[in-house]
Amino acid sequence: MTCLSGIRSFPKLWKSRPYLGLGPGHSYLSLFLTDCGIRNQQKWFSLKAMSPQNTKAVNILAAKGKSVKKKDKDSIKQTSHLPHFFAAGAAKKRSQMNFHNKDHTVLPGRKNIQLPTKPLSSEEWDRLKENYTGKKDFENWISTQMSHNNSPVDVAKSLLAWVAAKNNGIVGYNLLLMYLHLSVFYKQTSEVIDVYEIMKARYKILEPGAYTLLIRGLIHSDRWREALQLLEDIKKVMTPSVRNYNDCIQGALFHQDVTIAWNLYEELLSHRYTPMLETLKAFFDFGKDIKDDHYSSKLLDILLYLRNNYLYPGESFVHSIKTWFESISGKQWKGQFTTIQKSGQCSGCGNSIESIHLSPEEYHFLKEKVMMDVIVGGDHYRKTTPQELERFEDFVKSCPPFDIVIDGLNVAKMFPRARESQSLLEVVSLLAKQNLQLLVLGRKHMIGQGSRWRKDEMTKLQKQAHCFFADNISEDDPFILYATLNSGNHCKFITNDLMRDHKACLPDAKTQHLFFKWQRGHQLAIRSVFPGSHIIFQHALTYDTVVQTTGDSWHIPYDEDLVERCSYEVPTKWLCLHQKT
Amino acid sequence: MSVFFKMNISVTLRPFAMCLVPFTLPKKRNLYSTILQRYMSSKIPAVSHPTRESTSPPEQLELDGWKTTMKSGMQKEDVSTVPSSKDEDTLAANRELIEMWRLLGKSVPEHITEEQLKTIMECASKSSKKKYLKYLFIKENLKKAKQIKKERKAAAREEAQKAKLLETTEEDKEQSFLFLRLWDRQKDIAMGWKGAQAMQFGQPLVFDMSYDNYMNPKELQNTISQLLESEGSNRRDVDPFHLYFCNLKIDGAYHRQLVRHYRERWNKLLLTTTEKSYVDVFPKDSIIYLTADSPNVMTTYKHDKIYVIGSFVDKKMQPGASLARAKQLNLATECLPLDKYLQWDTGNKNLTLDQMMRILLCLKNTGNWEEALKFVPSRKHTGYLDISEHSLEFLNRLKKAKTLNSSPKHTLSRHGKVGINEKI
Repeated sequence: MTCLSGIRSFPKLWKSRPYLGLGPGHSYLSLFLTDCGIRNQQKWFSLKAMSPQNTKAVNILAAKGKSVKKKDKDSIKQTSHLPHFFAAGAAKKRSQMNFHNKDHTVLPGRKNIQLPTKPLSSEEWDRLKENYTGKKDFENWISTQMSHNNSPVDVAKSLLAWVAAKNNGIVGYNLLLMYLHLSVFYKQTSEVIDVYEIMKARYKILEPGAYTLLIRGLIHSDRWREALQLLEDIKKVMTPSVRNYNDCIQGALFHQDVTIAWNLYEELLSHRYTPMLETLKAFFDFGKDIKDDHYSSKLLDILLYLRNNYLYPGESFVHSIKTWFESISGKQWKGQFTTIQKSGQCSGCGNSIESIHLSPEEYHFLKEKVMMDVIVGGDHYRKTTPQELERFEDFVKSCPPFDIVIDGLNVAKMFPRARESQSLLEVVSLLAKQNLQLLVLGRKHMIGQGSRWRKDEMTKLQKQAHCFFADNISEDDPFILYATLNSGNHCKFITNDLMRDHKACLPDAKTQHLFFKWQRGHQLAIRSVFPGSHIIFQHALTYDTVVQTTGDSWHIPYDEDLVERCSYEVPTKWLCLHQKT
Repeated sequence: MSVFFKMNISVTLRPFAMCLVPFTLPKKRNLYSTILQRYMSSKIPAVSHPTRESTSPPEQLELDGWKTTMKSGMQKEDVSTVPSSKDEDTLAANRELIEMWRLLGKSVPEHITEEQLKTIMECASKSSKKKYLKYLFIKENLKKAKQIKKERKAAAREEAQKAKLLETTEEDKEQSFLFLRLWDRQKDIAMGWKGAQAMQFGQPLVFDMSYDNYMNPKELQNTISQLLESEGSNRRDVDPFHLYFCNLKIDGAYHRQLVRHYRERWNKLLLTTTEKSYVDVFPKDSIIYLTADSPNVMTTYKHDKIYVIGSFVDKKMQPGASLARAKQLNLATECLPLDKYLQWDTGNKNLTLDQMMRILLCLKNTGNWEEALKFVPSRKHTGYLDISEHSLEFLNRLKKAKTLNSSPKHTLSRHGKVGINEKI
């Protein structure tokens, strides 16, 4: 059965991987081998069989293979270019493999009137209004449309004039806001100031939207200090947004007032906001022209802030950082964009990147937290029962520390074609051959009789590995986490589950980061889809992706502009900075 | 110049300023007249030279016009209303803010009370503030719509009455009736009687009131209204349950809300409220806890069991809370066979308390799942699954087995049936 499915999937493998034809069989093979984080001496698979010699057989099979479902084909593609499980953009890639790109036909917005491109006279506006057949009030509607489509300022002006003429010189607040938006958008500072005067005259207090626009408009003018006053005004009713702070800081830097900028930055941090990366970039951009040790140390503080909060700069930001470092006179920093090798060495300078292993204190802390918040979580009965927990703890104590903990159900369901017990047994026996202490976690229904779970295979399994079966209504993932953590730092776990729900159970961002770091270092995901043929494990990362320094060098991971990174992924590109000696 | 000007023109005068100014403020006449002139001039060329429309000089003139008037607009004399304390200041600021939002057409209420304003200020985040405002806005709109409807109805009634007065003159004819029109009271009394019967002999149905610390005030509010609804539908039923509100702490959140809604009727309700748990009131093995998370599917309605429903509205994500409760007390659990009978489409498998109540009542009276599951909101499923085929097949198989095993029995039973029919 296994064998058959293996062969059947073959031609598609060959088809979807054109570069195999070039004959790099060996390099491909070695890639797989280095991929697994486990000490393996064996070749678990034989790719040689598919050398172009049997083209004939392959062709026949290919013809057969056409009838196979699309889903299968996609899943095989997965192996053709394997980004790391946690690499930036990997999730997007996976999702694209599962679903064919749907055509995103952009529906044209329902417009019953073409927006004017030139200023109109009153008559023309009147006519336009007559033609308008919408539910909303015409002025409201047209102003929203205009601000959405960024109509020219002149057109907006003529609209306002028309409304004012009709209305004894009064223009509604929403129209004013629309006008303000457009003049800010087109950077018409004088118009912004005019509107500012008008608003000051007519309204005692504004709402945050107007404040935000005014701040953004005013920071480029000479009256930028009034933007700070506006920020104070916002504070009366609510906390200003990160964007407001960003604008004010940019304004202060624009007018060379460094003290105010740093004060605002401190204030922003005191609100426990995460500053916009733009803000931080602005500091670096401004730093190029400043030769001041105090300022430099503050910039290094920003880098440490990035480090502590696991933030990654974007592409343009990282360029700013590079330029700033290189502009420091006398130090001769040299920056280059690189990647990190699997061994954890920077391809640029050859230095090793920080290890992903947690410190003993961190490890202990995480273990406690996982126990308290993920497994117990305020209610023993939510995920398990106290009896079961006790049973599990006794079981773990009675066994030697494990090398690998396997999520039985997840692994078994990995291969949709094969029987569950069979694929699980295959994975386990592969690992067992390497003299590893294994633990298979599952649920009780797996040992019950069923067509998907064969009794003989399960008994074989139990001979090769320690097994723990939780109740059918208990969750098994928390046990996996606990068993792995309990066994020590060398222990890894196998599952393709991203464990996001368990991460979410943790109380604060700091612990979550810690968990994620641990997870990246200890999770082996299975990346192949052919049962029997070979099993490829995603290597566990050995280095931590975080902003880091050794004093005379900096390594900064960054997000590329064109790659969409999920929250549970880390960037792959790095900026390597070091001093010339 | 314009600053000076601004101070002189008061708020109320503004709309009439154009006509008043020349008389009341003769000194400023020249300025105003220039503004007027601008208005005039802006209009006149557009009319007289339609060909020049596309070129923009007239707009430039108009633009200055509105700006000046707007600037010269109103500046309230704030000095008189200087707020005394900082607290009031922020209150007022918040009020103004909401007013500004309303000008922008955002969903905020028109009128707002002190208390609501304080609630808004206590909101932790911007989004919660906005959510609460939207809630108030919707509430206000509903109230307004209701008011309008009421007025319209009253007007219609008055009209009808007038028409009647005009028509009816010979309407003093004596008519004979069997009953006085006291239907509502009769109904109440009958339901009370049935309720009393249920209190004595009815099947217990338990509402577990121990989730108050899992819910926020809004969810609790929803729970209470669902409880009221279920109590109502139980009361109206042919064969009501004997309701138990278990774990109901006196002066707990549930109790306070229930008393607030029922008022003096609370003590006259024909149901049992107790601070004790259901496991203390009933034998443990006859209790079945109904929860959507249960792995066991309810196949038939059992008349000798005590079903427990958790009075819990879960809008936050905390799945498995009621299953955990049942696990802790070691109770049997069941869930409704929704997937078996319905083609589920969207939405949570958790049903509201009143829907549960109606389904259980229906099951109790008819035992028919299709009938009972009509109370599942139709938006949640696309239709009934056709299980008749399966069941027919199953029946056939049973029959076959029977005929193979004991054909004489079969014929016997048929005879029996006929006999019964004849008797009837």
